[in-house]
Amino acid sequence: MSTSTVSTPDTTTPVEKRSALAPLGKPFAAAGGVLGIVAALLPWVTFTLNDGNWPDKSTLQFFDAPFAVTGFRWHVLLLGVLILVAAFAPTPSKGRVVRALGWGLTLVSFVNAAYITVKGGGLGAITALDGVTAFGSIVGLVAGVLAILAGYGIGIEPVGEWKFKVSTPVAYLVLLVSFAAVLYAVAAMLTTGGVGTSNPYSGAIFLSFLGFAAGVLGALSGVGFIRWLSALSEQHRVFSVIVLAACALLLPFTDAGNEYWMTVAANIGIYAATAIGLNIVVGLAGLLDLGYVAFMGIGALVAANFSGAATAHFGITLPFPVAAVAAAIVAGIFGAIVGSPTLRVRGDYLAIVTLAFGEIFTRSAQNNIGGITNGSNAIPGIPPLSLFGNEFNKSITLGAVKLPAGVLYYILIVLLVAATMAVFANLKFSRIGRAWIAIREDEDAARAMGIRTGKMKILAFLIGATLAGLAGAVFAHKNGTVSYESFKFLESVTLLAAVILGGMGSIPGAVLGAALLFVLPEKLRDFEDYRLMIFGLALILIMRFRPVGLIPDAHRRAEMIERADENAEEAHVEAKKA
Amino acid sequence: MSVLLQQLANGVIQGALIALIALGYTMVYGIIQLINFAHGEVFMVASYGGLATFTLLPDDLKKSPAVALPLMFVGGIVVAVLVAVIMERFAYRPLRNAPRLAPLITALGVSVFLQEAVRVWYPNATSNLPYPKVFPEGSLSLGSVNIAWTGVLLVGLSVGLSVILQTYINKSRMGRAMRATAQDPDTAKLMGVNPDRVIVLTFIFGAVLAGVAGVMFGGYLNNINIDMGFQNGIFAFTAAVLGGVGSIRGAVIGAFIIGLIKTLAGQYMPGGTQYDYVWIFVVLILVLVFRPQGLFGEPERVRA
Amino acid sequence: MSTPVLEARDVSMVFGGLKALKGVTLTLDEGKIVGLIGPNGAGKTTFFNCLTGLYTPTTGQVLLKGNVLPGDPAQVTDAGVARTFQNIRLFPSMTVLENVMVGRHVRMKQGPLASLFHGPAYHRGEKAARERSRELLAFVGLNNLDDELSRNLPYGDQRRLEIARALATDPAVLLLDEPTAGMNPQETEATQQLIFRIRETGVSVVVIEHDIKFIFGLCDSVSVLVQGELLVEGSPEVVRADPRVVEAYLGKPPEEVQHDVEAAAASAEEEQA
Repeated sequence: MSTSTVSTPDTTTPVEKRSALAPLGKPFAAAGGVLGIVAALLPWVTFTLNDGNWPDKSTLQFFDAPFAVTGFRWHVLLLGVLILVAAFAPTPSKGRVVRALGWGLTLVSFVNAAYITVKGGGLGAITALDGVTAFGSIVGLVAGVLAILAGYGIGIEPVGEWKFKVSTPVAYLVLLVSFAAVLYAVAAMLTTGGVGTSNPYSGAIFLSFLGFAAGVLGALSGVGFIRWLSALSEQHRVFSVIVLAACALLLPFTDAGNEYWMTVAANIGIYAATAIGLNIVVGLAGLLDLGYVAFMGIGALVAANFSGAATAHFGITLPFPVAAVAAAIVAGIFGAIVGSPTLRVRGDYLAIVTLAFGEIFTRSAQNNIGGITNGSNAIPGIPPLSLFGNEFNKSITLGAVKLPAGVLYYILIVLLVAATMAVFANLKFSRIGRAWIAIREDEDAARAMGIRTGKMKILAFLIGATLAGLAGAVFAHKNGTVSYESFKFLESVTLLAAVILGGMGSIPGAVLGAALLFVLPEKLRDFEDYRLMIFGLALILIMRFRPVGLIPDAHRRAEMIERADENAEEAHVEAKKA
Repeated sequence: MSVLLQQLANGVIQGALIALIALGYTMVYGIIQLINFAHGEVFMVASYGGLATFTLLPDDLKKSPAVALPLMFVGGIVVAVLVAVIMERFAYRPLRNAPRLAPLITALGVSVFLQEAVRVWYPNATSNLPYPKVFPEGSLSLGSVNIAWTGVLLVGLSVGLSVILQTYINKSRMGRAMRATAQDPDTAKLMGVNPDRVIVLTFIFGAVLAGVAGVMFGGYLNNINIDMGFQNGIFAFTAAVLGGVGSIRGAVIGAFIIGLIKTLAGQYMPGGTQYDYVWIFVVLILVLVFRPQGLFGEPERVRA
Repeated sequence: MSTPVLEARDVSMVFGGLKALKGVTLTLDEGKIVGLIGPNGAGKTTFFNCLTGLYTPTTGQVLLKGNVLPGDPAQVTDAGVARTFQNIRLFPSMTVLENVMVGRHVRMKQGPLASLFHGPAYHRGEKAARERSRELLAFVGLNNLDDELSRNLPYGDQRRLEIARALATDPAVLLLDEPTAGMNPQETEATQQLIFRIRETGVSVVVIEHDIKFIFGLCDSVSVLVQGELLVEGSPEVVRADPRVVEAYLGKPPEEVQHDVEAAAASAEEEQA
């Protein structure tokens, strides 16, 4: 008899659990918010660290200068205030927002506390030592945990959905402001903690900043803003790409406008363009490609061999645009070849076929197949690009403004990324894109709809590989050296991770994913040894907790798209009349 | 002629090693249709586990192979099983019902993580580490062909263990439960089979075999490095596919074929040993394209 | 006599040693509804798969308006034969409208270049496809659900969406695989009306169904498939009267089946009256 009643407690447990926390939701949020503000004003370290002042006056006493909070303490203060606002103002899916802000607060406090403890020699550094007290980090941690619990107490509702529509000018304005904010955030991300080794604490400062950014992003996503913005930018995708590109072109004029960051940003751009190409294959058509970086390698090798470098195999020097097109075409042909087994192979097995092709490329390149790769000696001395006598790796002067070295490469690569994004976006909203998504969802049903699945899948591989080949050609000139070492299995996995981390099928996601994966190693030189380990762990955790990625492919609103189409068509008709 | 015979012998030994790893792939895929990409790293970790066990032994035991060698096997197997069980419990099990790409990507993550963990945390793992000389030395001479005793041991272990495994799966109650789960997990569950237990057990079996393989690899080649997992894992996976994923007999036979291809291609194909990997990948692609069900698998029927 | 719109001639299908279909012949005249019934495992779905090119018949051939159909599902759809699936197979994370627009795939002219550079032709084509898809959604009775994800629809709506998606390929013949499985009597009735309306638009229909009552009330002609063989073919009246059907169908004692069949036929007549 007892067996029949066993199942009842199961169904009630979640409700009970929630009711235990529910009455505490608001009070916890209030306490968390207030404690967060208090934490920002308390001192965080009992003494000055060996490598100099822990940034931003962390030994500051409350009444010394209450308005002088900067850096991470400013972030803590902001998070505390936001928690209070979110909890007591009418906020959509309040629980989610408070929880996300709580996580942000916890992360910032944890990173700083942990770093100070490790570097400062023990818990004395963050509690009391020699009569000096510094409980900032502990109060911050408590506040963060309280806010997380408050989030659960208030209840985790589905992400808010914003039904209202806006007129085009307002939408443009929103997009403009949002992208400008993104630009600011990127510049801040690049410059926090200073460049390279100039600040001994840069790694930790950066991590702390990431914690803050994650909290704010999580809150915006919880409110439903990210989803709405994502849909809005897909509706106005041409405008979005232009504005985003324009914003990116302004980066050299911000704090990040120095040679170091121009170089890093250009490298990120190359990988972002490649990742967007991969996103066509993986995100749209649902074909896992584990050897994708080989196409970038093929493009780079083609460009290198026609660049006039001393070790190039062919004695011919082609102008860059021609070489780039050749690189794209050759890579595209290989893409179609690698994709052709899709006619017979599906799913996991296809992933293994692509891996095998990737390995064949690496091995062949390592052994200098046909004399075109130069094996482990690589092809060095590829001349930099130049335009009207300006070499791309030198600095240029525009009127009164002197722009940092590498800025021309940066501009070229921003344009490349913009072009790839446009290709991706246009294809996604087309007959071909719908066919790809249909294949991803259910291949048999797609065939029953008359889609020639084999042809479509090969086309996905071909286009993806072409984009990678193009990016590879730029890579060759930008770095001056092409070695098979740059195109190994781990690079393919990294690109795949960029796509997944950002959100499969989503364009801003691919850029963000590439940015994070290629900025992190620059920023975390302190943790160099652990970089790949963290990377592996991150892949596992993302799949476990957020398999859709950071900026998931927005649920597309057909009517919004339609409106854009009709506007465009009217514009065309009017243009004809005129 | 003697070169050919020698290479055939080498190929069989390679095949025996690959077979031990391939069984882990094939069993896991048979039960939960997951390409456990990290299985090659379980093999690698086991190899380091065996080495660590030896290092931790008191000096007088190190000198007595009869004690040290079994202990190394135990150490390698324990490490492999621990890693496999943790990996199943925390990385794969939560994704049991996720879209198919998710577990595969997780497997890539686990693979990278394990390799890096060993590189960073195992002392001096950045370079090749010598394996202790506790294995039977010398070699068996058959005419002009010399076969190291470790090679003979490896082949013996590999064949013996796969026969035991095959018998267990065919005859025992748990083996029946495994086959039932592989056929239809939902029905098996209704019949009172606990799928979680079956799956963990599958991972454990795979890990035990990989553990044996890891230690024997060190004994046969005398030194180990952190790349061994990826390379041999790919070979083993190829073998499993060649034999027909899910088939024990297929994996073993596939492994011997791959071993032979590797040594013979290294000897006789253009490019020599530099390209022996490439030939294996070519075989892998050809098999997947033209006979995806493998040599011993059943063709998958189109469903509508 | 005009050529039938769809004709299966002597179709056999062998899997390994198993003869799933043994020389099945079926004729569908334009503007008609043909029913295919038979006990479980009689080979109905296998036969459907032969008609749609998912399987290539071991012997025999399938003709659409006198032309042999190619052995590839995509080309069969292109030629004018659309289908639904026994266990609904929509594209779950696409919206309702997008699902139907995928059905327009074969009828859209948009090439790779237009897909890449969205010119005026692209916008015209997309708009036309969208309008046609909306029409079909309205036709099957799914209004104002364009932006719902198809996986969020209730079961009955999913079935109707699948029909709309199949109709979007502008088929000459529509093959419905158990369109009322799992439906309540009201929904079944609505489906029957929908199939009649589809016939009115000039599309010929083949239906597989278990529900004898539904089939007798719906079809112009009924074929009974038993163990891979065509047992009887003819109008509902003929089939109902045939003692072999009674004997073979479902393996029930004859009297009982006779009773079922008669009751079904009677109620079907009532409905038509």
